[in-house]
Amino acid sequence: MRIALPLTVALLPLLAGTTATASSDKTFDRQVPAQPRGVVEISNVTGSIEVSGWERNEVSVHAELDAGVERVDVSSDGGRTTIKVVLPHASSQGGEARLQVKIPKASELNVSAVNADVICNGVLGVQRLSAVSGNITAELGGADVELKTVSGDLRLKGHGLPARVHLSTVSGNVQLEHGGGDLEASTVNGSLVLSLDDARSVRARTTAGDVRLQGKLARNATLEASTVSGDMNVRASAEGGYAYEVSSFSGDITDCFNASPERLSKYGPGSRLEGTRGEGAGHLRLKTMSGDVQLCDRP
Amino acid sequence: MSGPTGTNGRKLASLRELPQAIEPAHDLWPGIESRLAALPPEASAAQGAKPAYRRALRLRWLAAAAMVACVAVGVWIGRSLLPGGPVGGAPPIAASRPAAIGLGPTAFDAAYVSDPRYERQRRALVRALQERLAALPPPARAKVSASLAAVEKAKKDLEQALGQDPGNALLQELLINTYQDEMRVLTDVHEASDSGREI
Repeated sequence: MRIALPLTVALLPLLAGTTATASSDKTFDRQVPAQPRGVVEISNVTGSIEVSGWERNEVSVHAELDAGVERVDVSSDGGRTTIKVVLPHASSQGGEARLQVKIPKASELNVSAVNADVICNGVLGVQRLSAVSGNITAELGGADVELKTVSGDLRLKGHGLPARVHLSTVSGNVQLEHGGGDLEASTVNGSLVLSLDDARSVRARTTAGDVRLQGKLARNATLEASTVSGDMNVRASAEGGYAYEVSSFSGDITDCFNASPERLSKYGPGSRLEGTRGEGAGHLRLKTMSGDVQLCDRP
Repeated sequence: MSGPTGTNGRKLASLRELPQAIEPAHDLWPGIESRLAALPPEASAAQGAKPAYRRALRLRWLAAAAMVACVAVGVWIGRSLLPGGPVGGAPPIAASRPAAIGLGPTAFDAAYVSDPRYERQRRALVRALQERLAALPPPARAKVSASLAAVEKAKKDLEQALGQDPGNALLQELLINTYQDEMRVLTDVHEASDSGREI
């Protein structure tokens, strides 16, 4: 017993080292100088990409690479830094590469991934992040942001700063927190959950997914949302109020204004709710075929 | 121009001043009764029945003609405004439609999607869809297939609803949106498999 305990303690680091070796076959580290407002481009097929903005004028790359990954290319030319995970023979079925990249915080960032999750924090420049089947999580820094996936989920955290935001996925869910400025979000059968913070214009569209919009619109803002069969729940207030127009072919329309929807036909389906809140400075249009709509100007 | 006058000759200030009823000068019924009694029984029956029967017959013919006209107009609208069938001469896009996912043309394709460039591009994307889907990771492929099925179902539901209410602007707009969404999905899938190759 006296020998067993020290032996176990002595073997623990060795055991941990073995585990680390099993999860990543090799690591890669590289730093290159970069311009404070340069462009950084990152591409990876499988694994993950984690990017964060920092104060230094250099790009730092740390990568954990599986055996199936050939190498990581990092090049810097003028104001452009490129980081590319290279698989053998241009294979798209190679091993995973888990990248951790630090870039000057005012950089413009372009990320392209296939089956890799993308996480991005603290970047203030324009961000264009795309993945095929990975999820994308990012933070709005005041500049324009475009997030795009095919089957992954999108999650964007804002701080109410005005920016142009474009969120698009085919099958994934979209979640936006404190989105200000001009927002556009679409998914086919995922859900759209947008929290608005002084948004100027909002366009939200799904085919079969539910839409939930909540928060505050700027004065004279426009909000347009449509879905074919998803339900819509809109709880949005605006300085100066808004004129609203809600149409549904066969869904129910309810509101917190004590207004009753008007039936479009005595015998057929279809109903519409129209009215004005406050001065009617903004404009809100909600459309659905068979989904139910709930509208309120209180949270 | 003189105004209306009352029974006593004075001018009326209001319609309320008119009498509610005016009795005839004498009882008219005895004269009517005597004239009816003078008619032969069959003549009086025929005179009473014939106009009503003729009127009913004429109304039936009119109703039948209106029905035929309605059917004719309906068929004309169906053939000229919804040209998805052989009469419309729409190209047989169905030949290129993948078996797994129904993305074939429907009655409203030609009505709402008439740009030949759009049709050409869409046909090419649909033709390459199976190959592109196969290039996606299996979980993504399953999700995208579900999305394409959702788009297809939305199109069918909208078209069915438009069948009930062809002039409905809301349904028309949602259908156009759905076509745009379908195109976006096809393009995204196309680009996704390209990006896998490029990376």
